[in-house]
Amino acid sequence: MEPLSNTLAAPDRKPKRQRRLPTEFGILAVLIGIALLFEALGWGIRGQSFLGNQQRLLVMILQVSVVGLIAIGVTQVIITGGIDLSSGSVLAVSAMVAASLAQEPGYARAVFPSLSGLPFIVPALCGLVIGALAGFINGSLIAITAIPPFIATLGMMVTARSVAQVYTRGQPISMLAENYTWIGSGAVPVVIFLVTAVIFHIALRYTRYGKFTYAIGANPQAARVSGINVNRHIMLVYTLAGLLSGLAGLVTSARAQSGQSSMGLGYELDAIAAAVIGGVSLAGGAGRITGTVIGTLILGVMTSGFTFIGIDSYIQGIVKGIIIVAAVVADQYRQRRRRKV
Amino acid sequence: MKKLFLALSATVAFSAAAHATTIGVTMDKFDDNFLTSVRNAIAAEGKAQGVTLQFEDAQDDTGKQLSQIQNFIAQKVDAIIVNPVDTSATPKMTQLAVAAKIPLVYVNRKPEDKELPANVAFVGSNEKVSGKLEGEELVKCLKGKGNIVVMQGQLSNNAALDRTADIEEVVAANPDIKIVQKQTANWDRNQALDLMNNWITAGDKIAGVAANNDEMAIGAILALKQAGVDPKTMCIGGIDATADGLSEVANGNLYVTVFQNATGQGKGAIDAALKMVKGEKVSSYVDVPFEKVTKDNYKTYMTK
Repeated sequence: MEPLSNTLAAPDRKPKRQRRLPTEFGILAVLIGIALLFEALGWGIRGQSFLGNQQRLLVMILQVSVVGLIAIGVTQVIITGGIDLSSGSVLAVSAMVAASLAQEPGYARAVFPSLSGLPFIVPALCGLVIGALAGFINGSLIAITAIPPFIATLGMMVTARSVAQVYTRGQPISMLAENYTWIGSGAVPVVIFLVTAVIFHIALRYTRYGKFTYAIGANPQAARVSGINVNRHIMLVYTLAGLLSGLAGLVTSARAQSGQSSMGLGYELDAIAAAVIGGVSLAGGAGRITGTVIGTLILGVMTSGFTFIGIDSYIQGIVKGIIIVAAVVADQYRQRRRRKV
Repeated sequence: MKKLFLALSATVAFSAAAHATTIGVTMDKFDDNFLTSVRNAIAAEGKAQGVTLQFEDAQDDTGKQLSQIQNFIAQKVDAIIVNPVDTSATPKMTQLAVAAKIPLVYVNRKPEDKELPANVAFVGSNEKVSGKLEGEELVKCLKGKGNIVVMQGQLSNNAALDRTADIEEVVAANPDIKIVQKQTANWDRNQALDLMNNWITAGDKIAGVAANNDEMAIGAILALKQAGVDPKTMCIGGIDATADGLSEVANGNLYVTVFQNATGQGKGAIDAALKMVKGEKVSSYVDVPFEKVTKDNYKTYMTK
């Protein structure tokens, strides 16, 4: 394995590191800038601190934990040069399947009256497997039929949403048992999000898995020639992204104490936005989990900030859209200037 | 007297059977929860009255719905019941039915015709009332004073705007109640949870939550629980009387929800259509009232 990893564009090689490290600093500066802006507005408008409130800091991360989980998966997909539009729908299927196996015993309208009171591991595992399976189908379609990832995952997005609806003919699944809902309560989603981020950060930066992922995104031809089983690796990356959508489905249904077929609507776009804000290049081959986490936090800070200073619901979307684009433009501009120097 | 009544009902039954009335029904969507209840009620009432019903699913497509109506007219059905996909497209439908001299009943969604001509009627609930019922009940719960927050449905949706306007109207009449925050959570439980979390941390003293639907009210309840506040100490209101909403009413967490009578709408639509077929006059607006659901009467709705 030694010679192989030497020939690949390893992301942690010395010269690259010097060029890349500031990328996250740039986006971190944007995050801090936005937070400070709300801090100032907070004192001006509401007469209290925006950041000096532990509960609010928790809420900021809590509300984007689910999107963050999806974003971690989508980041890796984007690094390989692909895209995943199916995350929100896959989340819904996992949420429905898991919820249907996690209902309280003795509930009259249970989906499977005979399957109540199961141990936590059953619904959790089923939800995760469903997610991974959907991801595996995405990856296989892309690797084997060579159709564009945009199309393959668009198909999955439509299909999975419909599967979620068909599963109970649109009926929500309620009365989830407490041994299931704990993964959505309190700060648990935040812990899951951050632990997952650390795991995949390490995987991408320090393992062969990561080197292959970047290599395929930078140049699939070269990756193939240097002996990487590109198809198998693509399948793996999409399967992991599906698995994370499944995990997001578990957390979402546990938080709401309900499984609903409309869950996760549009989350895939928020996740892609978080990754792109965090400096993940849609061209593939570049980007890191740290950037995506910061991008996710920017979305969370904005949501809390708007509500905090009482910006009208009607114009929040306008401001949010502008900030997303401005953050990326600023980052691009800064990078270009650096390269000229 | 009893004999006379029996004889009368026998004649009615006979005449209905003799005519074998056919009614064409086009629904916006077959897979919508509430509309399915309306559809089931239409089917049940049609069966009870000995009417032949033909159901069509417009699949949320106005063009498709128009063709379905034209097909009904070509088939010479005795009456048409329409649950409009898009209420702004109804004048065209009205025109078609009137030209063909076929009675037409709109159900559930209020047509935007300036005025409905004879032999055309609307059977539904007045959206302006649901928010009012919710608001008035919350005022009672608040004993006339305190800060409340309003959770709105999708901002492009008429029901969300009307329900919010109703709440604001009720609040305006009670000077000691103040709306301190108002924002959309898009009818969604998770979004409502996040929104409520943010409001709680903003530090306003909140005594009540007026949500445009039950799902968002439940989101607020979950957020309060997680923040260590007992929802029972607050005044929380929703609309829809969903199964989950009713169980929160039973728990005492949800103070009020409002029931929209799907059965009443479906039955009312058949009744109006049959009356018009027989040549009787029907008021152009048949109101099926919203019903307030609280701890006192929630049990009657559990089975509906």
